[in-house]
This record gives sequence, structure tokens and C-alpha cells, in this order.
Amino acid sequence: MSGGDGFVRPTTVAQAARALRARPGAVALGGGTDLVPAFRAGAPAPPLIVALRGVRELRVRGASADHLIVGAGVTYSELAAWPDAPGLAMAARAVGSAQIRNAGTVGGAIGTASPRGDLLTYLVAAGADVLAADGARRWREPLVDRLAARGPAAAPAAARGPAGAGPVLVTAVVLPRPAGPGVYLKLGARQAAAPPVLGCGLVVDSAAGRVSVAVGGVAAVPVRAPDACRFAADQIDWSRPDVPPDTPTRFGELVAAAVAAAPDPLATPPGGPPAPYLRHAAGVLAGRALAHCLAEAGGSP
Amino acid sequence: MIATRLSYPLTVDGVTWRVRDAPLTASLLTVLREQLGITSVKDACEQGRCGSCSVLLDGTLVTACTVLAADASECRVTTVAGLPADGPADAVRRAFAEAGAVQCGFCAPGFVVAVTDLLTRRPSAGEEEIRTGLAGNICRCTGYGRILAAIRAAAAAGATAVAGEVAAGEVAAGEAAR
Repeated sequence: MSGGDGFVRPTTVAQAARALRARPGAVALGGGTDLVPAFRAGAPAPPLIVALRGVRELRVRGASADHLIVGAGVTYSELAAWPDAPGLAMAARAVGSAQIRNAGTVGGAIGTASPRGDLLTYLVAAGADVLAADGARRWREPLVDRLAARGPAAAPAAARGPAGAGPVLVTAVVLPRPAGPGVYLKLGARQAAAPPVLGCGLVVDSAAGRVSVAVGGVAAVPVRAPDACRFAADQIDWSRPDVPPDTPTRFGELVAAAVAAAPDPLATPPGGPPAPYLRHAAGVLAGRALAHCLAEAGGSP
Repeated sequence: MIATRLSYPLTVDGVTWRVRDAPLTASLLTVLREQLGITSVKDACEQGRCGSCSVLLDGTLVTACTVLAADASECRVTTVAGLPADGPADAVRRAFAEAGAVQCGFCAPGFVVAVTDLLTRRPSAGEEEIRTGLAGNICRCTGYGRILAAIRAAAAAGATAVAGEVAAGEVAAGEAAR
């Protein structure tokens, strides 16, 4: 491990986790795409920055027959070009500009936990787990539990502190490899210049007969809609797969209802879209995502 | 005692500098401009959204405003001034000048770095790939028409150069076979 007081550059996960644990308030640095602008915007200097660029273990990714594992140091650009994970790749391509995708990492997306994070929304939809370490042990837990463990998160990421805050180091995400398509759709201004207003990740697993969805940009953490997913799964003829024509619309209505009931809703920024519009748009986006996935799976609409 | 200022080496365009007492939280952009005086790397949005500060970090295109300077100290930083004198970089520079793809010039260094990176990786990039690949670079004069013309010209020049090399190689191979 190189570096000194205030900034260290570990080369192993154990070193990184121990460094984070040893200094309260220490922060992990991935690509810096959220953390460095936060500093510029006035976030206080932490007592220690643990730069993860040199930790090779975090750059690993792999695919088995039923799972994908992606190291926390894998960049969006690397994910975007990964043929084993087309849904994940689509979500990664939706992030920012080429410059940001080249630097931003999976671990950074989870550490920052932006409520509008493209990749975070897709990972929640995909039912991802995180592998984490704290210097004394390593463990696996659902991503949604890790997000909840960060505490009330209704405030923007910058107000909660810089990316990666806390002694827990996320080392990788593990997600099921679905037998079916995944899609990520978003609404917003120019992708490279602004975070999305809304994002929707949706995964169809034909083998398990399951639909999973998450909507980002409406609450502190991406909102799941289990009722909508059960409805869609019941409507789909999994032998084709096919659905009655009005299923995506009804599915969207149920997703909009889940958004309306979600805890910790995001406050509408001045001049931003009002909550009723966001709920409606979330439903439309979810309906389109379902239709897109079913079409890709060979059914209708 | 918490260190809030750091000193470290930083290699920019092949020259290794000694950065002294830089703030712990300083971006690469800030250190390049304010400590090393390298002002070809432009300072605009400081949020990674405009591409004016585009540089290569170990050969990868990034925005200098979103890179922690201390984290770049074991990397090679390449600015527009450090791009190669020949190859795609030369074709891009010539094409920008010949097409008049510069209005106020503020975005030009970032564009030249980004376009060189794109055409180095994807010499035959089509219109959509060019537009998508350069979405992170903004021209506030809105001079995109001539910028795109320059990129097409640079791509064509690269294709012509490659075709010339292939033809020369075929001639050489033919002569060797005789």
C-alpha cells in the first residue's frame, strides 16, 4: 500500500477495508465522478481518502450459467461492452458521457447511491446482492438492504456525504443471470449533461416465470413493484411468451401505484416535474419496458 | 493530525512534475491549471458534463474535473499538447483547422482529445457513433456543423492513410513474391 497521511492507495481488498475501518470518516474513491465534483461543491475533506484504483480484485467480472459477478472497480464502459449481460450493458450505456463511463465504477454507483442512478435502478430490478468487507469479515447481502443500512436517504447524495462513506467496502455485486431479456429505459434531458428524471429497469426471467421492475428518480431508493410484477407474471403465457394486449398498460398502472405508495419520496426540485406527472411517467415507462422485453423474448406486443 | 494538503509526482505529456502542497480534495483539472499552469485543459462546468477538460488518463478518455489529482499521480496524463504528432491526432488537428471547426476555441482542446480517442479506437466510426461518442463534449457556440465536418474529414483521411498502407503492403508483398 502506498500513500501517506490523508491519502492511501491499497492494492488488496483487505488493505482497503482495514484502512476504511481504521479512520472514522474515511471515504473510498472509485472513479471520482461523484466524489470529486462533490468536493468542488463544498463537501468537507475527509480525514482519509482510500483510492481503489490499484486494487485488482475489484476489477474482476465473470459469468456462470446462472449468475453474474461484477467487481466494484469495473467501469461503466467495461459493462457497456459486456456481451454476457445485455441488460446490465444497456443500463451502463445510459450513464453520462463516454468520459464518465470510462471512469465511473459499479462500486461508486452503490457508494453514492444516487436516487437517480441508472445502474443502481437496474441492479435493484435485477435483484442484485452485494459482496462487502469491513476489515474483519466479508459477507453477502441484498443490495436493497445495503442501501437501507445507509440510513434515511431522502436527501441528495452530496448532502449525505461523499461517495463510499462509511467503513463498509462493497467489493462486488452478484446478480442472477436471467433466462430472458432485461431493459433499462429513462426519461430526462441530454444524457451526457444531466442525471435522468426517471429511470426504469425491468428483467424478464422466462425460466423462472418472473418479472422484476424498479423505478429510480422517485424515492430515496429505487422503488420495486411486487404487485405489478405478480400481475405481469400471471398474465404472461410463458410458453411463447405472450400477454393480452392491455397487459403493459395495466402493469404500468400498478407500477405507478407502487411509486405513489413508496416511502421517502424525493422532493420536487424548483421547476421540476410534479409528483403526479412523475407517477404517470413511471407507469408509462414501465409499460414500455415490459412490452420491449416481451417483444425481445419473441412474444407480443 | 489530518493531512489536508499533499505533495506527489504527476506525469503530464511525458514530463514528471512535483506537485507541492495541493489540497487533498483537488481535482486533476485544478492542479493542471493552477499548479502546473497547463491552461489548454479548460475549466467550465467542473461536473464532468461539458468535456472541456477532456484528457487521457493512462490512455483512457476522462474529464479532468472528475479525477482526484492525487489519484492520478501514478498514471500518465495526456493533454491536447501531448497527443502524438502523427496518426489520428494529426489528422484531427488538421481537419479542425481546415474545416474551421473552431469559433471561440474554448471547447476545441477537449474536442480534439475526445475525437482523437474516438478515431483511434474506432477509425471507421459512423455518424451515429460519432455523435454518441462525443455527446460529452459541448460547444457553447453551437458550432457542431463544422466540428462534425472536421471529424468526417479526419476519419476519411485516416481511412485513406490506412488504404495507402494496405496498398503499399500489397505491392511490397507482390514484389517479395516475385
